[in-house]
Amino acid sequence: MSALRADAAVALQIARKDALSELRGRQIAGSTLFFATLVLLLFGFALGPDPRRLADAAPGLLWLAIVFGSLLIVARLHQLETEDGALEELARYPIERHAIYLGKLLAGLAAVIVLGGVLLPVVAVLYAIPVVAAWPALAATLLLGAIGLAAVGTFYAGVTVRMQAREVMLPLLMLPVVAPLLLAAVKATTAALGGNPLGDLAAWLQLLVVFDAVMIAAGAATYGHLLEE
Amino acid sequence: MGTRALGIVALIAVAAASANALFVVPPDAVQGDAQRIMYVHVPSAWLAYLSFGVTALAGIGYLWKRDLRLDGIAVAGAEVGVMFTAFAIWGGMMWGRPVWGVFWQWEDPRLTTTALLLALYLGYLLFRRLTDDPHRRAARAAVVGIVAAVDIPIVHFSVEWWRGLHQGPTFGSPDKLLHPTAPGLFVLALVSMVVAFTIAWTWLMIRRYQLARIEWQIEEHGRLGRLSAARRAGRASAPPPADGAPERA
Amino acid sequence: MPQTTIYAAPRTREQTPPPAVATNELARLFGRSAALAGISLQVDAGATVALLGPNGAGKTTLLRILATSLRPSFGSALVHGVDVTLRPDLVRRHVAYLSHATGLYDDLTAAENLRFAAAMRGLPDARAAVDRALAAVDLAADAARRVHGFSAGMRHRLALGRLLLGSPSLILLDEPHATLDADGMALVDELISGWKASGVTVLVASHQAERVTRLADGFARLDGGLLLEAGGQGVTALKPSPLGWPSVVGA
Repeated sequence: MSALRADAAVALQIARKDALSELRGRQIAGSTLFFATLVLLLFGFALGPDPRRLADAAPGLLWLAIVFGSLLIVARLHQLETEDGALEELARYPIERHAIYLGKLLAGLAAVIVLGGVLLPVVAVLYAIPVVAAWPALAATLLLGAIGLAAVGTFYAGVTVRMQAREVMLPLLMLPVVAPLLLAAVKATTAALGGNPLGDLAAWLQLLVVFDAVMIAAGAATYGHLLEE
Repeated sequence: MGTRALGIVALIAVAAASANALFVVPPDAVQGDAQRIMYVHVPSAWLAYLSFGVTALAGIGYLWKRDLRLDGIAVAGAEVGVMFTAFAIWGGMMWGRPVWGVFWQWEDPRLTTTALLLALYLGYLLFRRLTDDPHRRAARAAVVGIVAAVDIPIVHFSVEWWRGLHQGPTFGSPDKLLHPTAPGLFVLALVSMVVAFTIAWTWLMIRRYQLARIEWQIEEHGRLGRLSAARRAGRASAPPPADGAPERA
Repeated sequence: MPQTTIYAAPRTREQTPPPAVATNELARLFGRSAALAGISLQVDAGATVALLGPNGAGKTTLLRILATSLRPSFGSALVHGVDVTLRPDLVRRHVAYLSHATGLYDDLTAAENLRFAAAMRGLPDARAAVDRALAAVDLAADAARRVHGFSAGMRHRLALGRLLLGSPSLILLDEPHATLDADGMALVDELISGWKASGVTVLVASHQAERVTRLADGFARLDGGLLLEAGGQGVTALKPSPLGWPSVVGA
């Protein structure tokens, strides 16, 4: 039990360090927000101007923007470690490998939640959808989706961190894996916005929970091997 | 020798089973001759998944034993698997056009999952290509393979739920062949195709593994050669190691 | 001194502590080149040893393997009797490594960087230890400044200060005098003497042969990935052992 507490403490320390770096002007969340908003704008140009079509497509577009944004977030969080050989230094401490993974995951999770939280009102405005009424369900979907994206993204950012062509390898490896998350998150969002007519909201949220649990377990178990040389 | 015999058996089996499935067995009442594609599509799909399972398990094995032979099995599974996956998707699309009217049906869990499987495989192979050091490549590829394999069942279930909610057209379903009420002749044809294809798959895996083994044997030979060359270069100028106090065993 | 050791070779009748470092035919390949081509040496506990040799001799590679940052391609390495491949977690508790890259976080202050390192090492009262470390490397005045603005010499000193956190029993230094001015280099010498006095084993890789050999008990000269010569006290070249693990010699 105390080993778990030690791991949790280590993970929180790492997440806190990343959060400090971010708040001090790394602009990870800032530039990502800007990018994601641009994506939503472009979607508007691509699919508009019929408001009904946009409203129908809104959940999908929202989550696509969040997914693309999370790619940037996890990549830049790992970049913090490569700039001065800090990742190798981090791996040399007497800490569990999965604690490092969880720490980076928590930092990524915070950023993705912020991203989603900001994009939701943006989508509400741009695509004219009612978000206020359904906000508990939307919040739950956002949280569960963010956890999954952070879990998978942190893992693949670790995979590609020192590779050549990492800018293309990260999305190439990560995007197929998040397809079920995207599906479930969009379905859940659609259900939430429509008042859950088919009663499937719970099922999709359950799928998200399963995805998150499996991916966190797989990532935590294998991250250590990525740190080896 | 044994491999060659296996290859001949595979060739005969595939030829015989295919001939049976394509020409002997009567066509389906509803889907017509198009249904015959299933005899090829289903075994391909099964082998695509099997290959990926092998890749993932071989990866786990490598992480445990650090034996590059297991990595050879992993890459064999990935390359053979890509082939069968592409084949399965092609077969699915060819079947879909006459039966569904479209090449692609999003809610068919097998088709969509197989497409994602192809994306995961190709990503895995591309990833392998970008790492040089054999042990590093083996370890990282193993990890990528494991996470990808873990994703596949989730993808499958999610698409099934997707379909379940839509209540789409059901008259053209590839599952028909596996239905308990399918005529015995059809089932027999399908089973014989699966067996024949699996024998062919085994042969392909063995050949690809042998190729991988030769590749890393050359690599290993090269590494050891460089090691001893470096030593010989050094030994020429170095004095013999000190041997002061008596060694305690 | 670590309490737990996994002794690789059978124990002798007199319970001498295991050597700080023992390697057997240790080799590491990077693609086409052999950075280490088979090193068998032993460093006694508490000794200060200079690792000498030109660029590309394998000094950094050897240190990285001992620090558990690199896996050997062939051969074995033991730190205080623990195999670096089998139980890297145990090794990490007792080893500290100063590498070429300082591994600092630019957006954090000097104090925050050290406090993070202290937390990673599991130190209970971090603030006191961090203040002491900063004072020891003459950075107390810059404790609240972000590392982003530091000069190379200051970053290097901060990395040196990081070594003082916790109580590692094996210190690995890779070119510790680089990027430092005369005062900085004197500081390094002071630190090494301090470690020597408290019985910590120190392995220093350096180009500055004379400076380092003055401080050290013994030296090991590398070139082309091989051990050419080992002299002085505390370091011995070993005969390669067919058993796999190093056959260490008595003190």
